[in-house]
Amino acid sequence: MTWLRGLIAGVSSRILWALAILLALLIAAPALLGNYALSVLILMLYFACVGQAWNIMMGFAGQLSLGHALYAGLGGYAAAGLYFHYGLGPWLGVFIAIAAAVAAGAVVGYLGFRFSLAGVYFALLTIAFAEFTRIGFDNWPWAGGSGGLFLKVERNVTDIANLRGGPLLFYYAILILAAGTFVLCRALLESRLGRYWLAIREDAEAAQAVGVPVLRCKMLAVMISAALTAVAGVWNAFYYNNLFPETAFSVGRSIEMTLAPIIGGLGTLFGPIVGAVVLTGLGEIFTDASEIFHIAGLKQIFYGLALLIIVMYRPAGLWPWFAARLGIAERRP
Amino acid sequence: MTNKKSFTRRNLGRATVAGAALIGAPLPLRYGFAQSPANLKVALLLPTSGGQALIGQACKRGADVANDVLADMKIAAKLEIVNYDTESKPDVSRTQAEKAIEAGAHVLVGAFDSGQTIAIAQVAEQRGVPLIVNIAAAPPITESGYKFIVRNFPTAPMLIGGAFNLHKETFKASGTTPKTAVLLSLNDTFGTAMIGGIKAMFPKFDMPYELVDIITYDAAAKDLSVEVAKAKATKADMLMPVCRLNDAKLMIQELVKQRWEPMAVMNPGSPGLYEQDFLKTMGKYGEFHISNVPWLDPKSAMTTSLEARHAAKFPNDQLDINGGFTFEAMLIAAHAWLAAKSTKPEALMEALRKVKIDQHVIIGGPIQFDAKGQNVGIKAAAVQNLKRKPTVVMPLESAAAPLVFPEPGWNDKRRV
Repeated sequence: MTWLRGLIAGVSSRILWALAILLALLIAAPALLGNYALSVLILMLYFACVGQAWNIMMGFAGQLSLGHALYAGLGGYAAAGLYFHYGLGPWLGVFIAIAAAVAAGAVVGYLGFRFSLAGVYFALLTIAFAEFTRIGFDNWPWAGGSGGLFLKVERNVTDIANLRGGPLLFYYAILILAAGTFVLCRALLESRLGRYWLAIREDAEAAQAVGVPVLRCKMLAVMISAALTAVAGVWNAFYYNNLFPETAFSVGRSIEMTLAPIIGGLGTLFGPIVGAVVLTGLGEIFTDASEIFHIAGLKQIFYGLALLIIVMYRPAGLWPWFAARLGIAERRP
Repeated sequence: MTNKKSFTRRNLGRATVAGAALIGAPLPLRYGFAQSPANLKVALLLPTSGGQALIGQACKRGADVANDVLADMKIAAKLEIVNYDTESKPDVSRTQAEKAIEAGAHVLVGAFDSGQTIAIAQVAEQRGVPLIVNIAAAPPITESGYKFIVRNFPTAPMLIGGAFNLHKETFKASGTTPKTAVLLSLNDTFGTAMIGGIKAMFPKFDMPYELVDIITYDAAAKDLSVEVAKAKATKADMLMPVCRLNDAKLMIQELVKQRWEPMAVMNPGSPGLYEQDFLKTMGKYGEFHISNVPWLDPKSAMTTSLEARHAAKFPNDQLDINGGFTFEAMLIAAHAWLAAKSTKPEALMEALRKVKIDQHVIIGGPIQFDAKGQNVGIKAAAVQNLKRKPTVVMPLESAAAPLVFPEPGWNDKRRV
């Protein structure tokens, strides 16, 4: 209870009520929504979850990663491969997945931080790791090579132990994951480590001068972020039941993960959630428009324009502006 | 005054537009009215934007003329085709499939790419709505025990096996057999799967030539001079490319530049060489190459109708196997609906399992599906580029022109 009290300390009762209502609505959503709307909601929660994980690195610790698909891909492949080859369920497989992603994150982080690669140079390193992992998986028969790894799908089967089932099972799984990630990020932000990250983000040299263990903190940021992304990757692999190196480790996938926190509000807790809702929602609206007007690619044009407008007029993201309007401005760490 | 008013310029304009619309009502509409009322709703899920947009749009064109061709062939079925863009992404494919089913689709058709197709297949399976796969070669699609899926496209092993058989037929028909061959392949998902298949199947087919080397290159390669030089150095009689459009162009350009004139450029079941843009860009150097792929049967009356309808509606676009297979998916849906006399998913699926369509457009036996939902009757054809058009030259019963083998040198007068 002390932990919980610490977690909600300083949060107004209005926000707590709003969060409780939002959670209740999300729990009740499957009863209120059709399958299509539910699948869109699942996408929103997934992007909120991976966005939250990426936000730890960039938003909290100020380290730009453009290769986060590496961790999601590794996590997904590890758990799916173990299930496919040895029947090991994802609840156990997820620990192997986390270990693999954390190890990869540690290597990327150590190489980058130990040799003081920062900004775009660090970003290039993350892209490079994702790329050569893709090439490795393209040629690794255990993982199905470039032909892909496929998990079997059965109709009318709900097997929670092996994460096999319909959209409802995956909805609640990603809801728990997204909520858990949100709470963890809040706890991290309120912890000493969180303060250290913010100090490093603002000025790494000054932070080091006052005794912040910069290398260790940065390493923890990349490893925690990698672990959370890997868990989302496991969910993703079992939801879609297929993995291809070309898509699992692609730069495009990495960029997708960064959009929600950037549009929502970098470094904020609600930013990735707002960003995921806005981007996925806009995407669906523009998809419908493309279908109505029978113009292929219309979505991409308007989607790009919408992003441009948001970035131009709300460079700090949508959430800080929206929160200020509602009078519940989140303290930007 | 009244008479004067009715002949105002505005009224005249309106009358002209209305008259023109009436007289010039497009033919498809007229056939549509002549057919039975549309009550089979088919959701067509294709990558019409994103990385695979061009191919997705080529597929869509085949479906766009489906109702006209069905009318020409006096098949009393009119389909209500609703298009959904998968954006070349599996996650979007899944959401779009959910949307289509929620909008009342009775049958799903798609989705060109294996990853996207698997994502749709899961929704189809979970919701119990039939999925007709138009194009997707990954074996797991029909090997995963799905109950609501049929595939009218060969798997990678079927593609390679068909190509090897055609190689032998081609050598026999021409009386010339190359002694050596070199495989030059891109290393993406498709290329790697093909190389694996070729390595595994080559010994079993007892091919008359020796495969002297397998050379791979990156899918994003902008220059193939080294790879082609290496292939030339093998002194192989035949070049077997596994490629896509852009690398096919690079490869042939290098062959010409390096003055390498193999007996044949003949693929073992791959796109690239027969594509419209390749033929346009390469001109005379694009001539005489052979692709061993499933193809439209030029001797089928339905193909004639499909080609005519396609040419009328899309005069600037060539009809290829993408459009052909997507049209056939529509044909299969129509036949299943006519047999089931119902739009209930179980009845449609039952009809799909029993379907036997003798008259169709792709070379091969009747369209029918095995217990796994795979059409195993699809045959490959040797398609040679002749007069800027991919032309069936093998098997002989479907040939539209005589085979030219070995292919003429780069400066031969037959290349015009």
